[in-house]
Amino acid sequence: MTARTAPVPPGYLWWLAAGFLVWGSALVVVYAVHGIGCTFAWSTGPLRLGLALVLFAHLAVIGWIWHRLGGVDPSRDSGQTGVFLRMAAVWATIAAFATTIFTLGATPLLTVCL
Amino acid sequence: MSASVDRPPQRSPALRLHRQLAAIWATGPGLQRLAAVNHSVIGLRFMATAFIFFAIGGVLGMLTRVQLATPTADFMAPETYNQVFTMHGSMMLFLFAIPLVEGVAVYLTPKILGARDLAFPRLTAFGYWCYLFGATILTGALLAGVAPDTGWFMYTPLSSNVYTPGMNADVWLLGVTFVEISALAFAVEIIVSILKIRAPGMSLDRMPIFGWYMLITALMMVAAFPPLILGSILLEVERAFHLPFFDPTRGGDPLLWQHLFWLFGHPDVYIIFLPMAGVLSTIIPVLAGGPLVGYRAIVVAIIALAFVSFGIWVHHMFTVGIPHLALAFFSASSAIVAVPTAVQVFAWLATLAHGRPRWNVPMLYVFGFFFIFAMGGLTGVMLAMVPFDWQAHDSYFVIAHMHYVVAGALAFPMLAALYYWLPLLTGRMAMNQLSVPAFWLVFVGFNLTFFMMHLTGLRGMPRRIYTYSGDEGWNSLNLLSSVGGFIMTIGFALVVIDLLAQLRYGRRTRRDPWKAESLEWAMPIPPAPYNFASIPFVRAGPDRTAPEGLAASLARGEGYLGFVRNGWQETLGVHMTSGAPEQLIVLSRPTYLPFYTALATSVAVLAMLFQFYLSALAAALVVAGLLVLAGQSAGLNRDYGPLPVGQGVSVPPHTELKGSPPWWALIFTLIADGTLFVSLLFGTLYLWVSAPNWPPAQTFTPNLGLALAAVVALVAAATAARGSQRSISAGGMALGWIGLAAIGLVVVIAVVVGLISGIVPRPTEHALGATAAALLAYVTFHAGIGLLFLLSNLLRLRAGFLSSRRSIDPRLTRLWLDYTVVSGVIALGLVSALPALVRSLGT
Repeated sequence: MTARTAPVPPGYLWWLAAGFLVWGSALVVVYAVHGIGCTFAWSTGPLRLGLALVLFAHLAVIGWIWHRLGGVDPSRDSGQTGVFLRMAAVWATIAAFATTIFTLGATPLLTVCL
Repeated sequence: MSASVDRPPQRSPALRLHRQLAAIWATGPGLQRLAAVNHSVIGLRFMATAFIFFAIGGVLGMLTRVQLATPTADFMAPETYNQVFTMHGSMMLFLFAIPLVEGVAVYLTPKILGARDLAFPRLTAFGYWCYLFGATILTGALLAGVAPDTGWFMYTPLSSNVYTPGMNADVWLLGVTFVEISALAFAVEIIVSILKIRAPGMSLDRMPIFGWYMLITALMMVAAFPPLILGSILLEVERAFHLPFFDPTRGGDPLLWQHLFWLFGHPDVYIIFLPMAGVLSTIIPVLAGGPLVGYRAIVVAIIALAFVSFGIWVHHMFTVGIPHLALAFFSASSAIVAVPTAVQVFAWLATLAHGRPRWNVPMLYVFGFFFIFAMGGLTGVMLAMVPFDWQAHDSYFVIAHMHYVVAGALAFPMLAALYYWLPLLTGRMAMNQLSVPAFWLVFVGFNLTFFMMHLTGLRGMPRRIYTYSGDEGWNSLNLLSSVGGFIMTIGFALVVIDLLAQLRYGRRTRRDPWKAESLEWAMPIPPAPYNFASIPFVRAGPDRTAPEGLAASLARGEGYLGFVRNGWQETLGVHMTSGAPEQLIVLSRPTYLPFYTALATSVAVLAMLFQFYLSALAAALVVAGLLVLAGQSAGLNRDYGPLPVGQGVSVPPHTELKGSPPWWALIFTLIADGTLFVSLLFGTLYLWVSAPNWPPAQTFTPNLGLALAAVVALVAAATAARGSQRSISAGGMALGWIGLAAIGLVVVIAVVVGLISGIVPRPTEHALGATAAALLAYVTFHAGIGLLFLLSNLLRLRAGFLSSRRSIDPRLTRLWLDYTVVSGVIALGLVSALPALVRSLGT
């Protein structure tokens, strides 16, 4: 930080968590839809489609976060702190994307209610 | 009072300044110690108390090993054994591990971040007393023979009043919840302190890695503890008032308890591990003589770890009959959590590889950590695989894994930290003659004890059995395990002797014996109650926040706030990300209020325990009164405007700034509150979807008129609170607005109580009624707290603590009521919709 740089707004810290918050939402929604669908004996096809839609919608949101973080460069105004926080947010988002695929990627492919 | 600065005289400036600051910051002698709020005092008390419970818990563990050393032993009766192993687990987790982590954080965080204290000293003290009193209740129950006896995770229906009719389970539910209040207070305190109270110039990229670890740990606590608090409340309500949340015969489900417990329980492992990983990330670079490798990667890894640790709670429930698809993704989550953990481990190894490690006592324990934690981690990945888990579940393999992870992640880094920072506390170094053999005894004893449990587990020994017949092939392994336990205990006893000997005979050391260049070593040894005579400006970091020569300069008052003013306890508040000076934070002086408030809380808990419910209610009202009273002495009672803080900088006091610590504290409190509310919504929907005996024979027709009236009253109260804020900001008295808001809240309470009385089936008859009552009670409780906010506003307004500049109180009230409106609308909406949902989808 130098006197010439503008501080990174505190709200920017949310971006550190954004990707994983979406991953958490994906996990909970997939678990809930799956549980409700199996309990109330929904048809396999629509249930599988619903789970796939939930998964891809969340992946799309994480992808959008990744794209947005990649496009905005606060470092020009915010110095080293901006660079640090941006890079940390980008890598946390990439980690969230990979985690979503690894943990939930097989959901549309496996037997639904067993 | 004035805003002038009492500058230290020019002769012996360091000594004079020290005396002036010590007079303001010191805790008084004798009974005045009960009024202590200083973070160093409270942090040491936390750690000392935690070690006492570690000793008690350790003795209980040894008793179980004596019982299991040989087959058909009758050392303990089964009933006693149940209490002993339950209390061993509960004490080690709730009364030792978490409080120790809290103590380390309370003591070290301000010192490492260049602050004089934490943001809310009275809250720190309240948290400690809650912990002490809650822990004492649990220990007293053990001595009285009525300790919890259903295992440290209190599974229902065993812990319900049908199968555990005495007060044993109540002791756990009330005592542990009491301790959890302490943990939540700590979490909010630490988050706000790290974000807002650092040395100027310490931007987030310069923040020592310990700060990141503690910040993320505290955030995890804010989200992890509420589900268990909710579960404990619901189970206690079931036991005391027969509302069937977990009783399957009346629409409840025992698995709901497991979900709520493990939503806390699994992150808790990382809540214990991460601070110790912070300790390792601090110690290893110093002992390796080089900077920490991968600072940014570690920050990303702990963010990932924090989140993923929440998404794997179901792996504790792989055998309860969850659909296979869910098993698959929870298994995958449980495996991938090893990746961010491994990132940290490899960063530490790389740091060691790049430096010239010193083989001293702390490093020995670091080595012990690597060995044991790696083994625990590997067995963790094994257990994450569903087929293996099905074989090993509830066997001693799980006990072995848990001890390798939790004890490995906690005990060894803890002892490394103890030997590393003890010179800071005592000014003396350890004597290696005792320290080294003590380490090897602990290390060998630990592995002998717990490695054998892998083998007994794989040979089919179930956990929690109090004896065995002797023909299972477990005899020699169990005997070795018990022998190992005794060796480990001798090792720990030697550690205690070593530490006591160090206090008396250890070699005296000068400041910064490890050449660490971090801020906690840039202060007197042992630290003064104000930490820094003046607050440093951080120019580099995160490994070099305190370059050589800084300590003497700070002692001479050459940093920020190198003077005293008005007898205030002052520290600096900074911008959250950049670390630029932003506000002057005037902290609370020593007071007995935290002690009395915790005492009243413990009276309420004890009264609940003995089923004196009216007394419990009275004590709860006393607690509420004391909390309002505490507000009457907070802040400043006049406007000051910008005040000089040194280095040519002037900043306003925190009372005159919007982003002051109380504002952030309430935000994080509401996040915890919101987590509890979401857990309650989850519980309600879970029972509807999964519990047997749904739908009930009859359901109520929601009174939409009353529900709408409650919503209108809530919105009116929140709107009046906004009016109150505007009026005070304009210099008015706002009494009409405050009165209007209070009337709105009283109407809410009356209407919602009316709704509860109309619920069919009755809350004691079926879980539908019970969950509806719980949701409505949540709204009532928040409206009641809103009334306390308004009462406090009124009193503080009259006492002159509020003005157009000092308007934080009505802003806090508005925020609380906004939250109450949002949660109230959701709760009332769900209660109104649930009967229709049950009828349409549940049949």
